[in-house]
Amino acid sequence: MGYLTLSKISKQFADAVVVQDFNLSIEKGEFVSFLGPSGCGKTTTLRMVAGFEVPTSGQIILDGADITDKAPNQRNVGMIFQAYALFPNMTVVQNIGFGLRIRKEPEPAIKERVAEMLSLTHLEKHADKYPYQLSGGQQQRVALARALANHPQVLLLDEPLSALDAKIRVSLRSEIRMIQKKLGITAIFVTHDQEEALSISDRIVVMNEGREEQVGTPFEIYNFPKTAFVANFVGTLNTAEAEMVDPVKGIVKMDGVQFESANQVEGQKRGDRVSIAIRPERFSFASEQKKANVVDCKIENITFLGSVVRIQITIGRTKFNMDTFNNPFLELPKIGAVTQVTCSREAVLILDRQ
Amino acid sequence: MAQIALPASRRSTSTVSAKKWLGALPFFLFAILFLIWPSARLMIDAFLDGQGRFTLDNLAQLFQNQTIVSSYLLSIQISAVTAIGGGIFGFFLAYSVTIGGLPKPLRSMLITFSAVASNFAGVPLAFAFVATLGRTGFITAILKNIFGVNIYTAGFNLYSFLGLSLTYMYFQFPLMVLIMAPALDALKKEWREAAENLGATVFQYWWHVALPILMPSILGTMFLLFANSFGAYATAYALTGGSLPLITIQLRAQIQGDVLHNPSLGYAMAMGMIIVMAVSTIGYIWLQSRSERWLK
Repeated sequence: MGYLTLSKISKQFADAVVVQDFNLSIEKGEFVSFLGPSGCGKTTTLRMVAGFEVPTSGQIILDGADITDKAPNQRNVGMIFQAYALFPNMTVVQNIGFGLRIRKEPEPAIKERVAEMLSLTHLEKHADKYPYQLSGGQQQRVALARALANHPQVLLLDEPLSALDAKIRVSLRSEIRMIQKKLGITAIFVTHDQEEALSISDRIVVMNEGREEQVGTPFEIYNFPKTAFVANFVGTLNTAEAEMVDPVKGIVKMDGVQFESANQVEGQKRGDRVSIAIRPERFSFASEQKKANVVDCKIENITFLGSVVRIQITIGRTKFNMDTFNNPFLELPKIGAVTQVTCSREAVLILDRQ
Repeated sequence: MAQIALPASRRSTSTVSAKKWLGALPFFLFAILFLIWPSARLMIDAFLDGQGRFTLDNLAQLFQNQTIVSSYLLSIQISAVTAIGGGIFGFFLAYSVTIGGLPKPLRSMLITFSAVASNFAGVPLAFAFVATLGRTGFITAILKNIFGVNIYTAGFNLYSFLGLSLTYMYFQFPLMVLIMAPALDALKKEWREAAENLGATVFQYWWHVALPILMPSILGTMFLLFANSFGAYATAYALTGGSLPLITIQLRAQIQGDVLHNPSLGYAMAMGMIIVMAVSTIGYIWLQSRSERWLK
């Protein structure tokens, strides 16, 4: 059993089942992200851990204690909200010290802890400012300092970066991760941004329709998605319908073009319809050296995306995207040209069609 | 060519600028005709005697004439009582329709009622109270005949300070509801959740967070209610017939009355009223801007 365990958690609002039979075990000091589209139940699950929602069924165990029915103010859990939720009538110092004052900690201890938090979040210069005098990024750092000041057992972050602009989002997520590692605090991070989840987490829980679709490290989630939903939701993916030719060797045929895959799905037999998926960056132009999958294609379009060049190709009758890193000396084929592309056996994923 | 073009471009800039201000013309007309001009006339007349000569006597009388001083005090008292009473009652009513979980149709009904009731004053309001809580009013009669309670023998009198305060409350608390409902709506759910998450009880959340955030709005609206009551005339006159000498009733007696006719003193009294109301209104605007800064 982990430090925080969610066992068979379900939540129903009237007729709508928002979370169903959700299971997760989180180790102490682990950073876990809940990733999924809007309405998949990730925020509701987080709010059940915080105590703002009571599960319809199931159990939440934190460090050996059952907290399922405890009131939010009886749990030692820190939370950061998407809209910062700083108290507008209080300065930065007062906001950070609020929880300690509520606990009636001695004034010198409060001062010391607040100073420590200010230093940790680099907010010393803004100590006496009110929230309306701070930028979004600064406000979210205050919220982080306030949540950490109480020495919470778990830190919950509910889409804390989604209201910020792109540059601040990237720098603050690194700062959050650095602080989390430094303090060794267990954290759950809710996001719908796959890049955010991939870059910040120890493990990711991909959620869909109230269930955990796949739980794994960012590497596993990106490279070895178990379901079509995960494969489509995380990263850009080419998917196509194909026919199983040899389930043992992992050979499939799409529009008469044969692909060999290292990824085999149990229970498949010759002639079955399957979905295959190949990430755009796994394609490359075929060189002299023959690889497993060398296929003819036609160049349809080329788009510059900054560091990456996206090339749209047609293999058989199906359109695929192919990504290659941009460099000033890159030689690209002309639009309309017919050439050959290749990808490894590992790059061809055969997905569970469910 | 360039020399000719320059004035033409200047002319077009000034035309654009004039057009920009054209839309604000009705406001300036209103402000000049109904606020600035009458106030200026009043202030000038307050410093003139009956023959049009400069004098400070009128202003001196505001502080020396006991009748006028007590009228100001009475008006301030009744305004303070109804601002505080109406403010507190209105706040709780606004709370019940916003955070208190009253069904939405009831909320719309109360807001519509408040919009109408906050403007229901003067003779109709006085008559409504006479018909309900007067000596022969139907509520007085119901209490007396059905419940055996005679409120008049128990000390209540509609034509007294208490009765007039109660009548004023009728247009005071709806104004509080109208202003406080949006302020209560602006309290973010996340503030309560953040406070709870940090260990606060519901009481601690209200004491440390919600009330301090709302306080500028509450106090500011009470200033507005004070000004609203301070300037009321027709309700008091229709209900008490002048037996309660409020400053507005004394003012009319000085300007139009047969016995106390002294228009110059009346202008000075009106100037005093403008100052009291200006202070209240400035207090309201200042506090409201503080609260808006927090709630934005």
